[in-house]
Amino acid sequence: MKRHLACLAGGLSLALALTGCGKGSSSDSGGSDGRTIRFVAAKYDDDTQAYWTALIKDFESANPGYRVNLEVVDWEQMDSKVKTYVQTKQEPDILNYNKFSDFARDGLVHKAQDVVSPKVLADFLPLFRQKAQYEGTQYGLPFISSARMFFYNKDIFAKAGIARPPSTWAEVEADAKKIKQAGYIGLGLPLGPEEAQAEFQIWAMNNGGGWTDASGTWAIDQQANVDTLTYLRKLTKDKVTQPNPETTNRKDVFNQFAQGRIGMLNGAVFMRKGFIDPVDAKLNYGVAPLPSKDGSTHKTLGVQDYLVAFKKGDGSNKAAVKKFLDFFYQKENAAEFVSTEGFLSVTKSAGEVLSSDSRDAAYYKPFVDALSDAEFAPTDDPAWAAVDGAVKQRIGTAVAGGDPAKVLDEIQKTAQKGD
Amino acid sequence: MWLGPATLLILTMVVWPVIEMIRTSLTRVSSTGQSQGFAGVRNYTDLFAEGDLPGVLLRTLVWVVGVVTVTLVLSLGLAGLLNSRFPGRRLVRWALIVPWASSVLMTALIWRWMLNNFYGVVNRLLMDLGVLDAPVNWLAKPGLALAAMMGVAVFVSLPFTSFVLLAGLQSIPAEVYEAARVDGAGPVRGYLGITLPLLRPSLVVAAIINIINVFNSFPIIWAMTRGGPGFATDTTTTYLYKLAFDNQSVGESAAMAVVNFGLILAVVLVYLRVVRRQEDTA
Amino acid sequence: MKLRTALLTAVGWLVALAFLAPYAEMLLTALKPTPELMKSPPSYLPSRWEWSNFTHIWSLTDPRVADALVFSLYVAGAATLLALAVGLPAAYYTARHSFRGRGAFLLLVLVTQMFAPTALLVGIYREMVSLDLTDTAEGLILVNAAFNLPFCVWILNAYFASIPRELEEAAWLDGTGRFGALTRVVLPLAMPGVVTALVYTFIAAWNEYVVALTITSSSNRMTLTRAIPGFVTSYHEQWQYLFATSLVSIVPVVVLFVFVERHLVSGLTAGGVRG
Repeated sequence: MKRHLACLAGGLSLALALTGCGKGSSSDSGGSDGRTIRFVAAKYDDDTQAYWTALIKDFESANPGYRVNLEVVDWEQMDSKVKTYVQTKQEPDILNYNKFSDFARDGLVHKAQDVVSPKVLADFLPLFRQKAQYEGTQYGLPFISSARMFFYNKDIFAKAGIARPPSTWAEVEADAKKIKQAGYIGLGLPLGPEEAQAEFQIWAMNNGGGWTDASGTWAIDQQANVDTLTYLRKLTKDKVTQPNPETTNRKDVFNQFAQGRIGMLNGAVFMRKGFIDPVDAKLNYGVAPLPSKDGSTHKTLGVQDYLVAFKKGDGSNKAAVKKFLDFFYQKENAAEFVSTEGFLSVTKSAGEVLSSDSRDAAYYKPFVDALSDAEFAPTDDPAWAAVDGAVKQRIGTAVAGGDPAKVLDEIQKTAQKGD
Repeated sequence: MWLGPATLLILTMVVWPVIEMIRTSLTRVSSTGQSQGFAGVRNYTDLFAEGDLPGVLLRTLVWVVGVVTVTLVLSLGLAGLLNSRFPGRRLVRWALIVPWASSVLMTALIWRWMLNNFYGVVNRLLMDLGVLDAPVNWLAKPGLALAAMMGVAVFVSLPFTSFVLLAGLQSIPAEVYEAARVDGAGPVRGYLGITLPLLRPSLVVAAIINIINVFNSFPIIWAMTRGGPGFATDTTTTYLYKLAFDNQSVGESAAMAVVNFGLILAVVLVYLRVVRRQEDTA
Repeated sequence: MKLRTALLTAVGWLVALAFLAPYAEMLLTALKPTPELMKSPPSYLPSRWEWSNFTHIWSLTDPRVADALVFSLYVAGAATLLALAVGLPAAYYTARHSFRGRGAFLLLVLVTQMFAPTALLVGIYREMVSLDLTDTAEGLILVNAAFNLPFCVWILNAYFASIPRELEEAAWLDGTGRFGALTRVVLPLAMPGVVTALVYTFIAAWNEYVVALTITSSSNRMTLTRAIPGFVTSYHEQWQYLFATSLVSIVPVVVLFVFVERHLVSGLTAGGVRG
């Protein structure tokens, strides 16, 4: 019997030794000396990792003794990652994310004023700063922003005999029909789970609808929203959109627009860098304000992502976090991220850097201008995360089999449950 | 002593998470994942109040029964084929191995790519062959999408199942067939009367492993439709993931996971009992 | 008889074609130049064969395909060895001895088989945190080994049971001792079973996705399955690299499989008969 034991022990220790040698190079995360911080960044595209790696290298050589451990996470995996981190109390020191308010509600994150210098705080454009507050206090640090405009393919418009981009919904419908007759997809309408909440909001707010009423309480089931979906449903039934908007993701229509198959759609600022240029840099397209029901006002949808700094036990991480954040928000560094990824700046100083020396300024200008009166998703409401999930899952069904009023009703219930 | 390490590994890596999960299903969890105390059975009542649940359960049943049945029937044919002699048999066996060796995630992604409405090669091929007039959006209509995904699930289950059955076929001694031929049994009667009964142990094993794998299958649905549109192509496994990460209700998701396990346990036990009863009567 | 062989051959080759077609399309897509990928309707063959797609994936910094390949190899290899190291004695013992608790042990194994890690994600992650194994290779190795152990035990158990006890006893009498009998007689005879268990575990661990996604996060501990979906994000899609990398991960396993295919069938034979 003894011999068996020895053999077994030998086998086990072999296995353990094998599994043990993997740890070797791993760097210690969450150092207790207060000089090592963990930063989880979202992956916007292939350049993201390279940008942060370079920035962290600069930061570490400028601040000897400080270390930043970087993790870059895909957007598609971000929600589940963040949830597991928080649930298991493994939050990073700094997180790059698109929500912050439920962290603030649960007391998990530092106030903005505690983790960046007053100079940085004052540098944020007021519009974004205001959207980074929870109950009157700023917790989120605006990071990047994006705006939506109406993209149209000029060659297709010429073939369909359309002189200028549509301004009202009636014109959208008429033009889409003409484009369809010319043999293209009239309107790209992505109501699949990827970004359905954004697409819906774009149409709804240009019909006087939206997520909340004037007093700020959830009003997802309001009549203007029902009308919006009814209109989109009609476009779908008339087959002037791409087939099955309820399962089409945003990137699907962006790709087909780049391929020259779609006449017009609600596009985003990063579409040029991520979708059009890699496929056909010579695509002949124009950018116009988002159409509205009656054509009187044209609102744009603003999107901003945040950085948030999590509280860690005794708060010993605060100094290192502040050092790193102040380093990032130096105007050249912040501007470089924005231009690398094809987004819009959230700080005055970086915005100035970009508009002064960028030959791309002409492309970005209409987006920047539109941002001044943009509407945002209510990311500052803690129930938003649940609403966002429900909208992504359900809203598309309203233009397919479902009944718009009923679908909106379901989502309204989710919102009220979350409050 | 011999069993110690194995038991230890199972207890720590499988049983511990199970207990953790049952505990979570009885806890109130906020949208950020903070635990907020004991919830009683609230997560369960919330779960059973979800309007989508009956559809999801029904679909799971169709999914499991459909995929496992089709897989077994096709695998019987494939195993028979691979057991006969013909030139290139070895190469055909190797070809069959490829979907087994590939990650299910990658296989699901290539199928999604091929079935795409705009640039999918399946539509192009069917249109060139004159089967279709216009592209079909395979993954957009719930019924069609479910059928397509079941097809992919069968595709990835076939290799393992066929090999198990092939192994079963090869364990049948040639003398049995000789004896049958002497008795004057034709090929059909020989197959039904001799091959199938002798193949029975392999069939049972293949069925159980398939039921478990197909029931728990996640990557196919996740990569191809994400359970959409809405929840129209979800099974319990993708649904519980969405409950946690889209609807932000971790507690309810844990409750779904517990129910899910109860279901699979029930299915396997019922199956085993039926098999055993047949054995007793046979 | 000739006709039958011809028919079988035809059907056999058609089947092979059907099973290979998706992977052929994977290869063709991986060889297309960027602007052609999303063309609608699609082309069957690339207009220009972009072989550089396959070289380019090695020079990317995010993800680093070569690192991911090594890491996947390490995790899957170690998980397989661990599963065999603990599975072999357990399978041998339950096959040779009837003892109190044998039924309970086999039941535990069967029930384990019914759990998929997907359903237990939150529990697994919490446990990894308690054990301080998040974002480590060890965590992945342990989970992969544990969830594949049932299959190993089951197949090996069946195989050991099929080896006549007399052979082993004869070896004892020859003076090789119990341990010698085990290593020199039983194990070689059980080789097909061992190979089957090994291949099965390796493939399952090599292809595992959801657990890797949940418990590891840093980019230097990234499995191939975790790296691959990263080529397609909301802001940027590179299907050609996704499929090129997929092929890189598929080919070694197919080769491994082809080498052991013969053993596989006899390994599964015992499992099937006894299971």
